[in-house]
Amino acid sequence: MALLDRSEWYDIARSTNWTPKFVTDEDLFPDVMTGAQGVPGEKWEVYDEPYKTSFPEYVSVQREKDAGAYSVKAALQRSRIFEDADPGWRSILKSHYGAIALGEYAAMSAEARMARFGRAPGMRNMATFGMMDENRHAQLQLFFPHEYCPKDRQFDWGHKAYHTNEWAAIAARHAFDDLFMARSATEIAVMLTFAFETGFTNMQFLGLAADAAEAGDYTFSSLISSIQTDESRHAQIGGPALQVLISNGRKAEAQKLVDIAIGRAWRIFCILTGPSMDYNTPLHHRKQSFKEFMQEWIVDQFERSLLDLGLDLPWYWDKMIAEFDYQHHAYQMGLWFWRPTLWWNPAAGVTPDCRDWLEEKYPGWNDTFGKAWDVIIDNLVAGHPERTLPQTLPIVCNMSQIPICAIPGNGWNVKDYPLNYDGRLYHFNSEIDRWIFEQDPKRYRGHMSLVDRFLAGQIQPADLLGALTYMNLQPGECGDDAHGYAWVDAYRGRMAAE
Amino acid sequence: MALFPVISNFQHDFVLLLVPVDTENTMDEVAAAAAGHSVGVRVAPRPDKVVRVRRQGDADFFPREMRLAESGIRPMETLEFIFCDA
Repeated sequence: MALLDRSEWYDIARSTNWTPKFVTDEDLFPDVMTGAQGVPGEKWEVYDEPYKTSFPEYVSVQREKDAGAYSVKAALQRSRIFEDADPGWRSILKSHYGAIALGEYAAMSAEARMARFGRAPGMRNMATFGMMDENRHAQLQLFFPHEYCPKDRQFDWGHKAYHTNEWAAIAARHAFDDLFMARSATEIAVMLTFAFETGFTNMQFLGLAADAAEAGDYTFSSLISSIQTDESRHAQIGGPALQVLISNGRKAEAQKLVDIAIGRAWRIFCILTGPSMDYNTPLHHRKQSFKEFMQEWIVDQFERSLLDLGLDLPWYWDKMIAEFDYQHHAYQMGLWFWRPTLWWNPAAGVTPDCRDWLEEKYPGWNDTFGKAWDVIIDNLVAGHPERTLPQTLPIVCNMSQIPICAIPGNGWNVKDYPLNYDGRLYHFNSEIDRWIFEQDPKRYRGHMSLVDRFLAGQIQPADLLGALTYMNLQPGECGDDAHGYAWVDAYRGRMAAE
Repeated sequence: MALFPVISNFQHDFVLLLVPVDTENTMDEVAAAAAGHSVGVRVAPRPDKVVRVRRQGDADFFPREMRLAESGIRPMETLEFIFCDA
């Protein structure tokens, strides 16, 4: 039987809007769930998704993708890639799986909301596939680390992290709740698929895939490349939704959603991808610096996407670009210093060779971050590791839930961005974080950061052990230096020679 | 006497820190408490200097002998700790 070409039937088949008889249109598509901002249903009929696929095509392609990822895994199962990998690389895997796997599961719920409440038939159709994509991603990224659990208990956090009050898990939940779990269909289209996925997931999934291939971890490389092919398809749900909003006089509202989402996404990728690329990836396997990657993918490419849609650059664009030079270095220092509070073992990434690379990629690094690392290294060389372990809590940003930090040493620019709202004093990492809070204070005001919980007496005993217990970090799970401090030997030798 | 949390923004350090002090502490004692979490930890010691305390953004420091209870500082206010000539 001859089959019609997809283009000959697609538009009719996916035009599933109808006129309801038993309920009102408002009951069927309440604005609070659709987020259509008053743009009536017929205006959404022009929504035209750039990527079109049918269910049989989708199933066929996804089957091939799954077969590819699983067969690479099976073929390499008996190899010694895992055992032979640099410990810094294993830490990237642990942080990735813990931070991402269940986030994908949450994203499936978000796609489901678009599949039901998306105002345009094309959006609902694409989101149905997106929902299945995210389910696949959650399953893959739980199944792959599961194999490593008997070898290394920290891999259990691939599933466990989101079920705990570990601080990075709180940060991830806070951001993902805001970006897509507690948002309407249109907001999800704009904030999750356009801002988060078009803008940022390329970094974690393409940047790390390149580093993974360089590091010889073809299992991880093929896995996340496979995921990214889905992301690049369903990320296109947002663009046409933005076009509808803008052409119906809702540009200011759309711009605000985009600006909030980019600000929040930047924080997550800055702490997750930045240290992975510039510190945990072994020096000889690094393809690009995090800053170079940000310049290529965010400044050169995403900036064009924003402008092509008729949006403006976020008001804080230059401030964010300025952060490319330092914020992830500060996060790396925090991750390493508060390493017992992590479910992975962060690599310090500051051998003399690494520092030369950092200085080359980020001129002035030695005079700023290097100064603080010098003191840490001196303590390790002098046999005082206890001076390199946390004795108190860092102040956590009331938006990102990540410690408030910036440049130390001779470029010292650390600053609190406080806000007194409704009798409570909030603290933020930057003007960007504070601005996000100010856009909808009632939405954010009730959340208690880890520090707020500590001061409220929820963490007992009120010390590091109590904090680790609160975060559900068991002995054998707490992070420590990825290389067992072997990298300090280079400095020991130098100091002895001097 | 009462436990009093302040936020330390210590010169040359990279992060804001929670520092518990006491309402009866002088500013020098508050500075010493903050220094304990930064100096010799991530900030190189400067024995020829004293550490003075001021509100974030202020030009003037609190008097060294002023007690916290007299300073008007609120709990969880961000204080800057700056190396100064003795």
